[in-house]
Amino acid sequence: MSEILELSDAKSKGFLGRAGTVIGRRTEGRGIALLSVILVIVALTEPLVFTAYSVTLGRIALIGIVALGLTAVILMGELDLSVASTLALSGVVMASVPELWLGILAALATGLIVGLINAFFVSVVGINSFIATLGMLFALRGLAFVISDEAPVSLVNKEAGISFGEPLIGPLTPRVLIFILVFIAIQIFVSKAQAGREFFAVGGNRQAARDAGIPVTRRIVTGFMISGFVAALAGIINSLERTTADPTAGSTVLLTAFAAAIIGGNYLKGGRGSIVGTLIGAAALGVLQVALTISGVQIPVQQIFIGAILLIAVTTDPNSLRSVRGSIRTLRQGRAKNSVTT
Amino acid sequence: MTTKSASAEITTTDIGVTAKRRLGVAEILAWSSRNGVFVFTALLIIAALLFVDGFASLYNVTDVFHRAAPVGIVAVGMTFVVISGNYLDLSVVAQVATAGVILIAVSNTHGIFIAIVAALMAAILFALVNGIAVGVFKANAVIVTLATTFIGLGVLRYFSGGSIFFGPPDGIIKAFGVGKVGPIPYSAIVLLVMTILLSILLNRTNFGFLIRSFGVNESATRLGGSNTALIVIGAFLVTAIAAMVAGFVLAAFSNTAVSNDGVGYDFRALAAIIVGGTSVFGGRGSVFRTLLGVIFVSVLTNILVLSGISFGYQQIALGALIVFAVSLDAIGRKVAR
Repeated sequence: MSEILELSDAKSKGFLGRAGTVIGRRTEGRGIALLSVILVIVALTEPLVFTAYSVTLGRIALIGIVALGLTAVILMGELDLSVASTLALSGVVMASVPELWLGILAALATGLIVGLINAFFVSVVGINSFIATLGMLFALRGLAFVISDEAPVSLVNKEAGISFGEPLIGPLTPRVLIFILVFIAIQIFVSKAQAGREFFAVGGNRQAARDAGIPVTRRIVTGFMISGFVAALAGIINSLERTTADPTAGSTVLLTAFAAAIIGGNYLKGGRGSIVGTLIGAAALGVLQVALTISGVQIPVQQIFIGAILLIAVTTDPNSLRSVRGSIRTLRQGRAKNSVTT
Repeated sequence: MTTKSASAEITTTDIGVTAKRRLGVAEILAWSSRNGVFVFTALLIIAALLFVDGFASLYNVTDVFHRAAPVGIVAVGMTFVVISGNYLDLSVVAQVATAGVILIAVSNTHGIFIAIVAALMAAILFALVNGIAVGVFKANAVIVTLATTFIGLGVLRYFSGGSIFFGPPDGIIKAFGVGKVGPIPYSAIVLLVMTILLSILLNRTNFGFLIRSFGVNESATRLGGSNTALIVIGAFLVTAIAAMVAGFVLAAFSNTAVSNDGVGYDFRALAAIIVGGTSVFGGRGSVFRTLLGVIFVSVLTNILVLSGISFGYQQIALGALIVFAVSLDAIGRKVAR
């Protein structure tokens, strides 16, 4: 009832009112705030970040591509910690197949299979996705070590790797183009396709989604397969650009990708969030990382920055702030009651 | 009329039979997820004694104790976070390394007493950040502790410069690290003492009861009038102090400390806890079970190492073990319901 009132209220308020309601429903607020703060500070102190925009775009693409895949899973209230190892494993798989195209196909298939296994444990067996994908994180890392014989594998076709790092259209390298394509594909899937829109329902209230006839298990399988596929894509890009596949790759990408998705307003319990938000989060972190690197900040300090941003992001989502307000209120009420009784 | 009642009887007995059978499966699964570790550990040790060369030697048994001790101390502490229903504390990686580096580096310059106090302060800081973020802000424990791992390791690497710290060759740390009672190193005795102390804390105190209660039902615990934020902070504090002790033991063992010391401890401790039968769904578990899980994981790792199996396969085995043990728990719960 109150919601109907609010909506009609917004209608009567005209354009500004309607814009207000739309903005109130969006989740990207924190991401935009962080991005604009970072952009202003960087523009003032380290404008080189924007002159060397191809470097910055490449960094954003690397963070963003994994974060986009993660978002598909987070929208359903699940987590996929295994992406870091999927990235390393798919790179190693690709490098150990002599034919480049076959290698890429094998790597993508690896990502899909990993997603399928994750989804099996989460939706059929019913394990918490944090624990299931944490187990997979270590098992897949082990597998990458076994396949690569615990050493980086060089690509057979080094020329392909080198040409892959060069700009293709204008200043855009294939990495950035793939990132843009993945962004458009997932954005269209989540906002226009029925299956994608149902992700929000599955994340918001799983039982209600099931009762409404949404095939929840199938949606979860789709989500984990998207995240596995995209992580494999990132692994392929990474190994192509470096012309070697490193079995230890991807452990810092995990943290940054999570930070990007969470800053972008994707609510970890599912149901709220957006792909655009993830893009904004990735842009903020990418610009920050490049700026820190250019101004000569050491890697450990960069880790502190990213870790602190992730910590702030995960503790300032609306739900967290509400629960803090709630506990402050109970504290106050408890005090008031005590003072009355005494 | 009679035929009708007869058929009705048959169907009811049928239902009874299937229900019984289901209960049987549920019981087996629930039992094996709860008590399987006793059987599996015994079987594993027997198999190792029979088939693995070099397992039964005194040197190897001491070595197993030595390696099990730091992981085990982390695991018995982290059991509190798992029972409180907050999944795990990934930041033990940073906590173990921080404690070790502070112990060696600060005791070289300011003496061991100040070093221990400094390490304790660091542990309390970790516990407060983790506990407040998870307990007050209700943030996801996995993400929070992932963030604090990176912050902690970043700070540690920044101040230590990633270099290795060596203790004095004749100091008390070195003496503790190599000390033994018979074949049992001091570190294993510390593990045993920690297990007993934490077991008393979990089973015999009000705090331990509240941890369990919070793990089973958060809202009910809050409505019962408990300060849930303090419970969560307490669980992280127990973990942090255990991780600190583990860092000390690890540093004393080699008389050196470096910022990579704790790598892999999060995962091996979690494997031990889950294999021991403590549920990741919260509420159920015990510290002694975790000790048993530690023995299982350590013996398994030892067998893999002795058989010359590479690091990659060891990781696969441990990862599979975690997923398998949790699956057993989850399926047992599902069937029982």
